Amino acid sequence: MSVGVEHYVLLSLALFCIGLFGVLTRRNALMFLMSVELMLNAANINLIAFAFYHGNLTGQVFALFTMALAAAEVAVGLGIILVLYRNFRDVDVTVPSEMRW
Amino acid sequence: MMIETLLAVTFAGALLTFLAPNRIAGKLAFAISLIPAGLSLWLFTMFDGSGNALLEGGELAFENQITWISLGAYEISWYVGLDGISLPLVVLTTVLTTLAIVSSWTPIDMRESQFYGLVLFIEANLIGVFVALDFFMWFIFWEAVLIPMYLLIGVWGGPRRKYAAIKFFIYTNVASLVMFGAFMALVFSLDVTSFALPEVTQAMLNGGPESFAGVGGSTVASLVFIAMFLGFAVKVPVVPFHTWLPDAHVEAPTPASVLLAGVLLKMGTYALLRVNFTMFPDQVEAYAIPIAVIAVISVIYGAMLALAQTDLKRIVAYSSVSSMGYVILGLIAYTNFGVGGATFQMVSHGLISGLMFMAVGVIYNATHTRMVTDMSGMADKMPIAVGILIAGAFGYMGLPLMSGFAAEYFIFFGAFGSEVLEYAPLFTALAMFGIVIVAGYLLFAMQRTLFGPYRLETDYEVSRAPLHDVAPMFVLLGLIIALGVAPELILEMIFDAVDPILGGDA
Amino acid sequence: METAFELAPAIVLLPLAAFVVALLFGEYMPKKGAFAGIVATAASFLLSLYVLAAVASGGEFQETYFTWAAGDALSETGETTIEFTFGILLDPLSALMLVIVTLIAFLVHVFSLGYMNDEGETGLRRYYAELGLFTFSMLGFVVADNLLMAFMFFELVGLCSYLLIGFWFRTESAPSAAKKAFLVTRFGDYFFLLGVVAIGATFGTLAFQGDGSFVAEASSAIDANETLFGFDAETWVTITGLLVLGGVIGKSAQFPLHTWLPDAMEGPTTVSALIHAATMVAAGVYLVARMFGYYALSPTSLAIIAFVGGFTALFAATMGVVKDDIKQVLAYSTISQYGYMMLGLGVGGYVAGVFHLMNHAFFKALLFLGAGAVIVLMHHEQDMWKMGGLKDKAPVTYYTFLAGALALAGIIPFSGFWSKDEILFDAIILGLEEPIFLAAYAMGLLAVFFTGFYTFRMVFLTFHGEPRSDAARDPHPIGWNIKFPLVTLGVLALVAGVANLAPVGKLTGLEITYLEFWLDGQYGGYADLTYSEYGDTVPFETTYIAGSETITLLIAAGLGLGLAVGGAVFAMVLYNVPEPVPHTENLGSARTVLRSNYYQDEYQVWLAEKFTLPLARTADRFDQSVIDGVVNGVSSVSLFGSSRMQRLQTGVVTNYAALIIAGFIALLLVLGVLGGWFV
Repeated sequence: MSVGVEHYVLLSLALFCIGLFGVLTRRNALMFLMSVELMLNAANINLIAFAFYHGNLTGQVFALFTMALAAAEVAVGLGIILVLYRNFRDVDVTVPSEMRW
Repeated sequence: MMIETLLAVTFAGALLTFLAPNRIAGKLAFAISLIPAGLSLWLFTMFDGSGNALLEGGELAFENQITWISLGAYEISWYVGLDGISLPLVVLTTVLTTLAIVSSWTPIDMRESQFYGLVLFIEANLIGVFVALDFFMWFIFWEAVLIPMYLLIGVWGGPRRKYAAIKFFIYTNVASLVMFGAFMALVFSLDVTSFALPEVTQAMLNGGPESFAGVGGSTVASLVFIAMFLGFAVKVPVVPFHTWLPDAHVEAPTPASVLLAGVLLKMGTYALLRVNFTMFPDQVEAYAIPIAVIAVISVIYGAMLALAQTDLKRIVAYSSVSSMGYVILGLIAYTNFGVGGATFQMVSHGLISGLMFMAVGVIYNATHTRMVTDMSGMADKMPIAVGILIAGAFGYMGLPLMSGFAAEYFIFFGAFGSEVLEYAPLFTALAMFGIVIVAGYLLFAMQRTLFGPYRLETDYEVSRAPLHDVAPMFVLLGLIIALGVAPELILEMIFDAVDPILGGDA
Repeated sequence: METAFELAPAIVLLPLAAFVVALLFGEYMPKKGAFAGIVATAASFLLSLYVLAAVASGGEFQETYFTWAAGDALSETGETTIEFTFGILLDPLSALMLVIVTLIAFLVHVFSLGYMNDEGETGLRRYYAELGLFTFSMLGFVVADNLLMAFMFFELVGLCSYLLIGFWFRTESAPSAAKKAFLVTRFGDYFFLLGVVAIGATFGTLAFQGDGSFVAEASSAIDANETLFGFDAETWVTITGLLVLGGVIGKSAQFPLHTWLPDAMEGPTTVSALIHAATMVAAGVYLVARMFGYYALSPTSLAIIAFVGGFTALFAATMGVVKDDIKQVLAYSTISQYGYMMLGLGVGGYVAGVFHLMNHAFFKALLFLGAGAVIVLMHHEQDMWKMGGLKDKAPVTYYTFLAGALALAGIIPFSGFWSKDEILFDAIILGLEEPIFLAAYAMGLLAVFFTGFYTFRMVFLTFHGEPRSDAARDPHPIGWNIKFPLVTLGVLALVAGVANLAPVGKLTGLEITYLEFWLDGQYGGYADLTYSEYGDTVPFETTYIAGSETITLLIAAGLGLGLAVGGAVFAMVLYNVPEPVPHTENLGSARTVLRSNYYQDEYQVWLAEKFTLPLARTADRFDQSVIDGVVNGVSSVSLFGSSRMQRLQTGVVTNYAALIIAGFIALLLVLGVLGGWFV
């Protein structure tokens, strides 16, 4: 018995919502970043699930791309967080709001 | 390939000047600008075109068309060429730029290389506007002119330069947007495969637009006509879209004013002639009276505003509004002399307003004030510069044997006998009254600033203007008188290109 | 004869060359370029005499030298093209005028040697250059063979007068007077230019002469009863003719555009002489004579010309009575005399008008140069109340000035009498038929008395009685260069009347009206530009008193002469006393009105400064507040809107994320509703 594609989609949906919830509610930048990672991986699961469903490798290839991208993003993101901390002595994302106008 | 060479040389010259050290930038820019000036004069002597560039039977000089981009069903091409309308304007641009560069040697004392680089960059784009025959290409040059002018006003301008520069930029940019949208609507409603202006024109004249976005063909044509008119009207400018002009002029440094009044305003009337008055003969007839009313209001109202000013530059700026009103009157007359005279007036006003701004600039260099109330008797201290200013002022007033009179006379003569415009004699008579008001404000201003006992409110020692300030004015004066004595120098060429618009033979 | 005509362009161009030479090299030349002007005008004068002789021996000449512009233009009468050209037309009228202009320009140049150079004047180079340009412009105007060319040089004449009136630009008054002169005449020229444009657009030609001239076209249009620009042909001819007349009224200083002329006395006296006698002011009347064939087509415009002329003659003469400045008196006399010429032309007296133009050129140049000599004598004092007793100290000046004054007053046998008499005679015989002209005649006649009075008031105050100032007791000496022009013109003022002794001719039956024969083309000239041709066109009838020409002639001449002598005698009684007193005070409030020039200046200044300027300021305020207000308003509204909108951008990343999500959901919902998912 194989697991249907809808299960994967549900899993991805759940993961995405968790990530989204994190993005919307967390003020700690690290938690924020992790939530974004969750959302990205939700998308990855979707990609792989549909690649499996359609029987081709395009989705998997893109998933690999996304992972690489996510790694790069984490690197940049952590960098930003470090700078944030250095400037504000805090990693609360609501504190730095100078960059608006 | 001559036109390409002209453009390439000018762009390259602009780049070179940017990189040059400030110390030599002025002289270098002058030397470089002699090349396009010489080239354009050479083009002028080699000109072998006939007819109108956009119409059937037009033989373009130095024509070149290469497909550039294919966009679905449409092609964008590099398409250049010259006819009797555009060539005089190209020559005007190159000559005036050269002279403007010389006249900036005294007043410009910071970031010289950038300044002269931008001036040359404007020149290149202006040439582009007048030689381009593909709408896209033309539009790129049209918009590219704005940026350097914005910088010239915004960086080297007077105390309120930021306000003036932003106003100038936004005003003309919004107008461009309206015009661009209208032109796209026109192209999409026509059966054409490219943005080449001749193709669009001929499609307009042979059938006109089909319905577009649920609007009927003739309505599309009318709407496009109005939108394009408004778009160009800002650039001209006609009342009530003129308020950016005095602000821009007053704040701009002298050479920028020279180019702004001398050539940039002509982009508007040139485009009006090329688009509205060539592609839409039916609409011209339909909207003749409102446009003539606008023209008359521009002339009289602009002149009245000039009468109320006490800043010499503002006086000249408002009188530009007035003079451009004559151009609109000539265009709407839709007769050979009207349209031909309007084109002649573009060149003539370019020369005369350039001369006036230079002369005011020279006085400002010496006195550091432009207020009429701050000085008198300047003729005593700087006789040569003042003599030229007087000559220029009389040129502005339309003194015979100077180009201004020729232009105004052709326009009045053409307008009086207009078939398209109802009540043409009445409109002509009203607009002509501008020649009295223009004499009024210029004479009043001259009497108060140039004559009478010497008096100056600012703490500067006034001495005679240096040769390089006066020399360009002499050149302009010579050109003004040459065109006034022998308008046929360019009029023949202009008529040749104008006749086909009005249904005559090429 | 051919040579004379071939050399004709040189007449015009020589003074231009003098202008260029004086402008470029004047500083390095002796007398600052004066000799360039003297040589050029002398050569022009000789060439003009040559041309005059050529015309007299049966020649006429028209040649187009240069096409200024040409193009397609559909005229109202069906011409499809039009050419604007520069050409020369030499016929009796222009040949005569050439001689007058070049002679007076030459004498003024010579006189300037004494008048300007002796005073340590700066700017002489400019002066002589402008004088040359002035002469060039006027000569170009005189020989013009078409209306546009005439207009162009007409304007150049205006420019030169502006420059020369404002010659002493360091003063407050001269630039103001120059501005006024240009502006007022410009107002007239506005109508002139409109007329030129209208005539060109109507007939497709602007030529003065020939079958294709606008006069001939207009004549045939009237005959064919055509409709031109919505009017019947004759009305349209009247309208366009009156438009051109606007320029004439401005330049010839006719009411109501005469106000610039008295102010123009701010210029050097030599310039006044040139302006009043031969150039600027003469240009207007000359233009009417030049296109007289056109005015002859329209009785209405002739009547208006006559009436304006007659009114101006009287109006200006009354103002001349109360002036204290010698140049002011002469200024008003000029306005008045040109009024006579207009009157003469308006009543169809083409010969009379031109005759007076010629005589006036001589005696007015004489009077102005004489006044210039007086001013030199008086160390630059112009107030007549400070003069007196110059008669014995400067006999040459006195006798020549007296000759001019007698001519101006119209006392037999001086030239002015003959021409003025002829004008008044032409007016009365027409006036007896048409009452409107009788009114014009009456004004002209009345003005004769005032002319006699103010002229001799001026003479007596200046030269007679006891000296009333130190300068008058010890006058500055004057040289040959002042005396020579005075004597030349003095002789001419005396004898120029011989050219057309019409009354003598009529009484004796002798054929001695040479000027009439001359202008009638009997010696040479174009058939369509002759007096008899005009006479056939003018639709007026004339009547004689008691049906006799002789009686009418004698009555008219007697009236004119009697009034002139009466005025002169009245002046003698009042002012030819050792210590004259200002009798004008007895005039009471009339004096105030007269000295204020009937408040003509006031209302024109009011129009300029109290009406136009506030209107302009209002327009400016409107522009700044309403039109620019809208522009700035648009920007303010955008700025205000964006200042509200920018609050959305909190800078808190979480809020952005929430907005993105909310936007996404909203988009999803909208697409869903539109796509019918929820049905």
